[in-house]
Amino acid sequence: MENINSPVSPKLEDNISTIQARLGNSPDLVIRTYELINRTARVAAIYIAGITDRVMVDDYISHVMSFQALNDHARLAVTPEEVYSYIKENALSIGKEKLVTDINGLLEALLSGDTVILVNGVGGGISGSTCGGEARPVSEAATQVAIRGSKESFTETISTNIALVRKIIKNPDLWTETMKLGDVTHTDITIMYIRGIADEETIQAFKDKLQEIKVDMILESGYIEQIVEDNKYSPFPTMFNTERPDSVAGNLLDGRIAIFVDGTPFVLIAPTTFFMFFHTVEDYYQRYDISSLIRMLRFVCLVISMYGPAIFVAALNFHQEMIPTPLLINLASQREGVPFPAFVEAVLMEVTFEIIREAGVRMPSPIGQTVSIIGGLVLGTAAVQAGIVSPAMVIVVSLTGISSFATPAFNMALSIRMLRFIIMAIAAFMGLYGIAIFTIMLIAHLCSLRSLGVPYMTPIGPFVPGNLKDTFIRSPQSFTRLRKRLVNNSKRSSASPAGKRAAGRKSDER
Amino acid sequence: MFMKKEVIGPNQLLALIILFELGTAVLVPIGLESGHAVWLAILIALPGGIVLYLVFAHLYLQFPNQIISGYTRSILGPWLGWPVSLLFLPVLLYNGSRNLREAGDLLISASYDKTPILIINSIMIIAVMYILSKGIEVFARTAEIVLWIVIIMGCICIIAVISAGLVEYKNLFPLHMSDYKQALKSAYPNILIFPFGELMCFTTILPHFNKSRKIKKTGIAAIIVSACLLSFTHAIEMSVLGENLYSRTAFPMFTTITLVNMANFIQRLDALVMLTLIIGAFFKLTVYCYAAVAIANDLFKVNDTSRLVVPAGVIMLFSSFVSAQNYSEHMNDGKTFLQTILPVFCAVIPILLLLIHLVRRKFGLYR
Repeated sequence: MENINSPVSPKLEDNISTIQARLGNSPDLVIRTYELINRTARVAAIYIAGITDRVMVDDYISHVMSFQALNDHARLAVTPEEVYSYIKENALSIGKEKLVTDINGLLEALLSGDTVILVNGVGGGISGSTCGGEARPVSEAATQVAIRGSKESFTETISTNIALVRKIIKNPDLWTETMKLGDVTHTDITIMYIRGIADEETIQAFKDKLQEIKVDMILESGYIEQIVEDNKYSPFPTMFNTERPDSVAGNLLDGRIAIFVDGTPFVLIAPTTFFMFFHTVEDYYQRYDISSLIRMLRFVCLVISMYGPAIFVAALNFHQEMIPTPLLINLASQREGVPFPAFVEAVLMEVTFEIIREAGVRMPSPIGQTVSIIGGLVLGTAAVQAGIVSPAMVIVVSLTGISSFATPAFNMALSIRMLRFIIMAIAAFMGLYGIAIFTIMLIAHLCSLRSLGVPYMTPIGPFVPGNLKDTFIRSPQSFTRLRKRLVNNSKRSSASPAGKRAAGRKSDER
Repeated sequence: MFMKKEVIGPNQLLALIILFELGTAVLVPIGLESGHAVWLAILIALPGGIVLYLVFAHLYLQFPNQIISGYTRSILGPWLGWPVSLLFLPVLLYNGSRNLREAGDLLISASYDKTPILIINSIMIIAVMYILSKGIEVFARTAEIVLWIVIIMGCICIIAVISAGLVEYKNLFPLHMSDYKQALKSAYPNILIFPFGELMCFTTILPHFNKSRKIKKTGIAAIIVSACLLSFTHAIEMSVLGENLYSRTAFPMFTTITLVNMANFIQRLDALVMLTLIIGAFFKLTVYCYAAVAIANDLFKVNDTSRLVVPAGVIMLFSSFVSAQNYSEHMNDGKTFLQTILPVFCAVIPILLLLIHLVRRKFGLYR
């Protein structure tokens, strides 16, 4: 194959033609050749337009080639080697300069947005970081909105994202490690953690896992999430994603690891627990009583969105005696003209709701709202008036739908929505008994999950009384001076330097 | 591959024991002969239950890594020990299947009168198999979480019953001398064996306990808590229903809760009782199934724990509805079983094992 890695040849033309051949004569490849006056050397500056910052490139080139100023003095650089070393020294000022000796390294540098300087007669090149190009500016978080708190959200540029977190945690112990993943895409991945708070073995285990990844592409952090997850067949997400820097900062301070992926504003956080998906950063910004109530409300919503239609179906099919008599008569009269059994009715409405929701998400936002209004009002009212569903079912389904939006984490809300259909089917088949048995199985399943070694149901199974202060409720700051403990269920968590871990821990889980 | 040993902590053991003890015992009438002093009988049986537990715990401390079939063979020698341990298998499986049957029958009488018992029981067995295939650690953690659910539901039920004004103390008092005698008679051995003696199953779970120093404290706390809850629940049931109704209904707790009517709105909390029953029976069943599987694994040297779960579950499922034609026959069998076979395996054999062990150790008969 032609893609063999050859060293940079001393002949400039050869190198240029190799690079052009390797990049398929790409039009965005810019090669500027200079003939240095009075000197024997020819110099080429190569970069790719669009992913580089023009001003930086011009600065860089003019800087490293500033021979003119020295022209009056002795003939400083005559031979190509001298020119090369002169450029090398000058390149120091641009920063991030490195020497490339082979074509692959050169290409990698080019494709990461570097500008490479080649000198005719020298088998090597100097690259300087000039990466830039168009990027979305830091804007307000679109998916995880908070009434109070920082309005910043991550962007698609990894360096910006890391900087956003650094601005919050100004601590030398905030460490990052970078690697490239994806055999084709060469995506930049950065792991961030706070040394001394995050568990070192967990970090090491996680890094090993990342190194083992052999995939062609990493287009979004979701790729990493799916590859790294221990429980691939579980409906529940074991990694948290956020686009809020303050949320990442809070989780880092809890001893978690953040994974930044270039090209996406969604940063992964691991290890997670089930309850983390129902917490928001805002809980800590508001007063504790309000936050606690809102948190409990979220858990109520969780129950409603999971069991709402299922319990309704079960009560109508199997347990009519559970419903108070006047209400039962009311319900029965509503369902008088409805030709379907309750389960079919519920599935019909739930599926309609899902279709409206999905269509609304994909549509451009002005049309999207129209879809929801038309779908919601027209279908709901019309379906009732046409006698296809009963009004009570519409209420149950819409309540369920709204409740599912009260879960702050979108991926968790999706899992719950999926389970809702299963539970509904079971309720139609076996009533409350089926629901109970399925719930026990579900709890067992949740208990069997682990996220990077931390049991998923941590504060309640295994029971960690200290963490309960910040799970279902958010107790006042003065009660929660200790940071939550990430139980790792092995001896080492107790054996690790306890003093360091326990010292001055503040509680926050985001 | 090296598998990390599964461990359960004190909280989890506590939760498991409480759920196991409450299991079906809160639902069915226990200590039939004790009359209206049933709550007293439970408390009288409590010390005996603790002593029995201490026997199990002591045996565990002597042989920390072995389950009951393991140390039976160590104590009695392989030739006698193996068959004796083998005898535990049918007892555990049958007793587990009895729980299944009771749960299934209650469900049928409550609201599934058109569903075959096979379907109801097999759904529960499938859940048992699923949870056991996840391992004892997951099971213990599940118990920990579910205990909270049970406590919340129990509180709601009890508050509902009390605030509906159904409790009548004249059904509980006065207690005469004869009542005390009756209570004592039904406490030993009936209540001692069911539900306390059934803790024998935990001899297979204790080796997973990670803080062996706390084993006695945890167990005793769990037994006291569950005995108090049991006694309280049965006292409420008795006070609401009266002695006559209590002894005639198959599921006194269920009958009690159907009487609740608050403001014509909160009328029937049957669902809560049914959920309690399902959870209790489920956990008891799972513990039995686990015990049987663990003993079978140990006896037949099967290394993969989850391989025998399916056969054990299927046996339980079938014996649950093959063993008796109807519920009264089932109850009759139960009485005989409770009076003859269960005491031997729950109390006599473990106590004998401990005595033989002490004698052998004292006289240096272990090689």
